[in-house]
Amino acid sequence: MSTPRIAVIGIGNVLTGDDAVGPHVVRVFEARYAVPPDVQVMDAGTPGYDLTAFIAGLEALVLVDAVKAKAAPGTRRVYDKEELLHKAPVLAMSPHEPGVREALMNAEFMGVSPKVVKLVGVVPASVATGIGLSPEVRAAIEGAVAQVAQELAALGVAVTERVPAAEPDLWWEKPRG
Amino acid sequence: MGKLITIDPVTRIEGHLRIDVEVDGGAVKNAWSSGTMWRGIETILQGRDPRDAWVFTQRICGVCTTVHAIASVRSVENALGLEIPLNAQLIRNVIMSAHALHDHIVHFYALSALDWVDVVAALKADPEKAANLADSLGLQWAGNSKHALKAVKENVAGFVAAGQLGIFTNGYWGHPAMKLPPEVNLLAVAHYLQALDVQRKANQVVAILGSKTPNIQNLAVGGVANAINLDSAAALNMEKLYQVKTLLEEVVTFVQQVYLPDVAAIAASYPDWLKYGAGVTNYLAVPDMPTDAKMTQFDLPGGVIWNGDLSNVKPVASWNDDYLKQNVTESIARAYYEGDTVRQPWEGQTNPKYTGEWKAETPAPEKYTWVKAPRLEGKPVQVGPLAQVLVGYAGGHESIKKWADFCLGTAGKIAGVKLTPAVLHSTLGRHAARAIRAATMGELALKHWKLLVENIGKGDTAVFVDPMKNLKPGTYKGVGFHEAPRGTLSHWSVIESDGKTMKLANYQAVVPSTWNAGPRDAKDQLGPYEKSLVGNPIADPKLPLEALRTIHSFDPCLACAIHTVDAEGEEISRVKVL
Repeated sequence: MSTPRIAVIGIGNVLTGDDAVGPHVVRVFEARYAVPPDVQVMDAGTPGYDLTAFIAGLEALVLVDAVKAKAAPGTRRVYDKEELLHKAPVLAMSPHEPGVREALMNAEFMGVSPKVVKLVGVVPASVATGIGLSPEVRAAIEGAVAQVAQELAALGVAVTERVPAAEPDLWWEKPRG
Repeated sequence: MGKLITIDPVTRIEGHLRIDVEVDGGAVKNAWSSGTMWRGIETILQGRDPRDAWVFTQRICGVCTTVHAIASVRSVENALGLEIPLNAQLIRNVIMSAHALHDHIVHFYALSALDWVDVVAALKADPEKAANLADSLGLQWAGNSKHALKAVKENVAGFVAAGQLGIFTNGYWGHPAMKLPPEVNLLAVAHYLQALDVQRKANQVVAILGSKTPNIQNLAVGGVANAINLDSAAALNMEKLYQVKTLLEEVVTFVQQVYLPDVAAIAASYPDWLKYGAGVTNYLAVPDMPTDAKMTQFDLPGGVIWNGDLSNVKPVASWNDDYLKQNVTESIARAYYEGDTVRQPWEGQTNPKYTGEWKAETPAPEKYTWVKAPRLEGKPVQVGPLAQVLVGYAGGHESIKKWADFCLGTAGKIAGVKLTPAVLHSTLGRHAARAIRAATMGELALKHWKLLVENIGKGDTAVFVDPMKNLKPGTYKGVGFHEAPRGTLSHWSVIESDGKTMKLANYQAVVPSTWNAGPRDAKDQLGPYEKSLVGNPIADPKLPLEALRTIHSFDPCLACAIHTVDAEGEEISRVKVL
């Protein structure tokens, strides 16, 4: 198991509404695009402190996550490492997120932080318990997938479209019974 | 009345928990634990095929993924009366123990060591003296060399000089309650950094056997989906098995040479904290690490202890123990749910009745939390590594006894006193028990790896039995027990079958943090968190480090499911003095 050079990591809980956006986007991306073997695409769920372990030693990292921002549901925002580390006060982020900031700071302290970090964020409408995206966030999936491809291309990664595209594994959306 | 302090949230990274403590005369007089706990898993699972439940439950919490997956398949297997192949038990056991090792190490170094370790004070340490100290305890860890410790000290100095101690912002350096000698601080900071590599190795074990991490893919109701073929590159083969062994050995070395001695050194430096924080001294642990297909023999002991009496442990020898099934109830008298019922989990309901946030005035309102109050025989009990270590120690469990004696002996040697297991009923006792359990889990991980390789060597490659094969129409009730890193976990399922298909009619998870973080009940009995805080000293009400120490010692994991990144910087006050 060699350490990947670059990772695309979707974060979020698929059981709490729009919080599934991170896992959803990376699974659609994975079904639609092929990337070189040194690029890892991962649905990490809500990894908590393990995020540090997943990002340690990477050259570059693209995160996909739900973000709380003063904007309409479905709005897409891209943040870079500087913004993630320094923009908001530390304490404000801690209770409702799995430690993206803490993981980055920790990786910095340990000297294993990726040089480039991009967070592709989508503003949720609801993160209440239950499965399914809101119409606004569902409509934002395409744009977020394209954004991930664009961020990787900007990092010099050869992103090739699969023909035909595979079916994304969105098992949690499978109906009951 | 005294001064009321609200600590919100308590966990550094994982969850959302609120603690209110009333301080009078420099000590905690009363305490309330409240939080947003995951609720409503049954609304997601009702009507689904029980064979799919584990895939969903492992998403309840990103930190406890494998734990909820294991408890779920066990619950359905228990309902259907399935025996699963020995290989499947052993593969699950190795995954579980690797996960537990990972969890205990991360909890100590990343989430609670800073309650005791003053990072900035490490700058006053002499690396040579620190290396000699480790040497005097007979520790062989390469990371304790003078050269390695000097590099760590320079690294910390660089961060302090650049004002980049962001990750430690919640740390209380310079607090009057910080008492470690500089050299122990330096060793602990070095080990904090080295723990990352160990954490990744434990994760790799889970990934190799579970096909993926953090969410494993190899489980199935009826066994596991790992094809065993020692000659196939695609299957679980000898190369992968030996990779698992090497990784486990490296993790085990860290536990024995670093983690356990660190906890002992901290216990030796904070003797008062072997007196505070006992709280509820009723304990529950369930047996785990089964060594046979029928699940009648276990390598980890279960039992119940009442009022801290180690001479009279009621054994829990099996997952089919009727006593447990009949005597576990949940009270909602003080939680935001309709009514004040006391129910068995199979009959459990989740009908929220939110009566408004407690604004921290006293007395507390009748309902003040989303967490239900589990009870055994109507009494609060504490779960977690301490419960398991005490049950094991009392019963003469060889590995637990060995490592408990090692931990108490090392701490006693540093402090120059004799320590008995009685000191484990405390805040630092919970940390010590977690480290002791990690050492035992390390030994068991390697033992079960060996059992697996031997069983495969006999030509047994079975990993799965089909639960649909002998399915009859009817209603099935099952419970899946798992002694998880935070303690006794149980998943309770009710299944309806027409003989051809199965559907879940009800599903309830009673998680360890519910047992510990739960509120008062109808009889006003305090939950374990609450009771453990009463009597704790509070040197500075503005920085209630002491209350954090006691709560962190339980390894709280609440509402890790809820998360959105606040990129706009909404202010949330962490410690409010009212």
